Amino acid sequence: MVQLLEIGLANVELNLVSDKEKRLKFCINDHMDILIEILQRLDGRSLGSAACVCRLWQHITQSDMLWEHLCFHHVSPRLPSGVRPVVAALGGYRRLYMLCLRPVLSRLGLARQLSGGGGHQEVVRRVWTRHLVELSLSLFCVDYYERLGSGGGGGGRVGDASASSLMFLCKPVNV
Amino acid sequence: MKRDRDRDKAESSSMAATAAEKGKMWTAEQADVGGMDELLAVLGYKVKASDMLEVAQKLEQLEMVMEDDGISHLSSDTVHYNPSDLSGWVQSMLSELNGTGFDVGPAESTIIDDSLLVPSDNNSSIVSSSIDFTPSQSQQSQIYEDNSEYDLSAIPGGAICKQNESSAENGNKRRKTIGNRSGEAASAEVCGGPTAARPVVLVDSQETGVRLVHTLMACAEAVQQGNIKLADALVKHIGLLAVSQAGAMRKVATYFAEALARRIYKIYPQESNDTSYSDLLEMHFYETCPYLKFAHFTANQAILEAFAGATRVHVIDFSLKQGMQWPALMQALALRPGGPPALRLTGIGPPQPDNTDALQQVGWKLAQLAEAIGVEFEFRGFVANSLADLDAAILDIRPSAAEAVAVNSVFELHRLLARPCAIDKVLASIKAMRPKIVTVVEQEANHNGSGLVERFNEALHYYSTMFDSLESSGLTQVSNQDLVMSEVYLGRQICNVVACEGTDRVERHETLSQWRTRMGSAGFDPAHLGSNAFKQASMLLALFAGGDGYRVEENDGCLMLGWHTRPLIATSAWQLTATAS
Repeated sequence: MVQLLEIGLANVELNLVSDKEKRLKFCINDHMDILIEILQRLDGRSLGSAACVCRLWQHITQSDMLWEHLCFHHVSPRLPSGVRPVVAALGGYRRLYMLCLRPVLSRLGLARQLSGGGGHQEVVRRVWTRHLVELSLSLFCVDYYERLGSGGGGGGRVGDASASSLMFLCKPVNV
Repeated sequence: MKRDRDRDKAESSSMAATAAEKGKMWTAEQADVGGMDELLAVLGYKVKASDMLEVAQKLEQLEMVMEDDGISHLSSDTVHYNPSDLSGWVQSMLSELNGTGFDVGPAESTIIDDSLLVPSDNNSSIVSSSIDFTPSQSQQSQIYEDNSEYDLSAIPGGAICKQNESSAENGNKRRKTIGNRSGEAASAEVCGGPTAARPVVLVDSQETGVRLVHTLMACAEAVQQGNIKLADALVKHIGLLAVSQAGAMRKVATYFAEALARRIYKIYPQESNDTSYSDLLEMHFYETCPYLKFAHFTANQAILEAFAGATRVHVIDFSLKQGMQWPALMQALALRPGGPPALRLTGIGPPQPDNTDALQQVGWKLAQLAEAIGVEFEFRGFVANSLADLDAAILDIRPSAAEAVAVNSVFELHRLLARPCAIDKVLASIKAMRPKIVTVVEQEANHNGSGLVERFNEALHYYSTMFDSLESSGLTQVSNQDLVMSEVYLGRQICNVVACEGTDRVERHETLSQWRTRMGSAGFDPAHLGSNAFKQASMLLALFAGGDGYRVEENDGCLMLGWHTRPLIATSAWQLTATAS
């Protein structure tokens, strides 16, 4: 028994060594599609952290496609295709998420509910999610309009908190 | 804040807790004003800080005695030569009470107070006048130089509150005796009993709060009766009482007192043509609380549903202001299944004093937004002093087969009630526009009564609730400046409701049922706002920090937003009666 174990361990060691050699040649940055697949499954905060890793990751996480996935992948039925250009024009999905969706979701306590569950609840959540999407988009549009008024729409700058009609979302709430 | 600190100290010292109205403000705080307590100095009383305990005890005694024996004539008949010396006159009243008896002479009518500090030889006879006080009498000519300290003492604590109870002998109006003592200037206070006791929701249930409300109502009644002297005294008293309150109640009372004072002194607020200031105030109001957002979102939802299937749409906005309602509608139209329609927006606004074309600027911003999101957009602005100046022909209405029309009015229609027939003319011209839907958002209150007192009471209830909701949402979210500006915005409305009359009074709010009757008789049928609007509104409200205080209610197809149990604004939608097409 012990001998079998020793042979087994020896085999594993051999494998480990060869795997290590293989692994040394593997870099995730060489496999962008895998990287993107992984990043797509992260939540907003992790995406933000990921953006700080290296320049490549920063570049990837700035792509709106990731944020679009984050915003709306759980919405069903799928949003009409016209949404993307509208959101892009209003400032992009990243800004939409940071400015509207994230606070709205956390205020309404739906962030956790959206991941998992099933059956009847799923249907109810989808209906609510549609309203949530509509509401967020409306608020986002109001924000864009206000920024127009204050002299030039800022591109995708998330830190720009000059629009005041959404301040009620930005400030912390005593929960 | 200083007031909280004072309250803590007041609680800990507890000695003056039950004394007269000022009691809650007293502390054992060190004073800067030459050994005098500084808080009381603000009120006009000079009390040494070291004497505070003594004075408080005396006042307690005095109040107990006055309440027990029901003799409040003491406050009116006693001569106070130095009212700011609190300790002195309290002592004199106590000794008088203990020393002499009191007689209740025949009930006579009263004079309004003061002329107190006049030396004794001036007043050899006491004049008793009728309740309809005529200021022509020489002795009362001094009344317009009264000092507020004496006013305070002239209204005993129990008097106003006891109004409702002691109706048996006195009827509705209190009468006091006037002893004919030589060398004394008698003064008494008439407090007209508050009219039919309307249940008023109070933010602050302390005794002072109750007194404050009663004083406010008594003052309004005095103004309505033309009893200017009494009203004047009461208004000053309100000012003092209001200081002892905290939070929303104080602000409401201050605004109402100011409005009453304007009415009394006939300093009417000028209807300013400077709309940029009122627009600024309204922007802060928009940001601070959800009322305007609710109005916009629910109206937009109704318009959106009415526009389903139309390829060209025309929206006529009776109150464009900054155009904050339309970005959300444009976005919803852009994303609707089937693509966006071509949107035409006609905005109506008041003339600007400096000739800037504010409407065009708003239209330009909206056009930029429309271009960004891909909606075909056209804008026209119309400047009009009043909506009644417009008619359908000017607005370039295209035939309804080609274009669906929506008319939108947020807090605008009630202004038309100031002139006779204006509202009917406007409703007729709306009908001539053949709209698919008419959305009306109005305040849910009846501030259009002809009598001042009923209007005042209604407004007091309504704006107290409003300020209460501002107060609780303001703490955690918006800056103090936003909150203050929103309050000024509401304060201007209060001033208009209370102080103005005739065509100047434009804030003529009416309730939903009144509007229903009006719209129904003008030839409109109600269009029910659907559950989409309700859900969106509920979600919107949940985002606000005071979210659990706000309530959305559905009332026979209309949506009402309220604070706790009191509905404050109502959105309704209307369409032309089927036979009229």
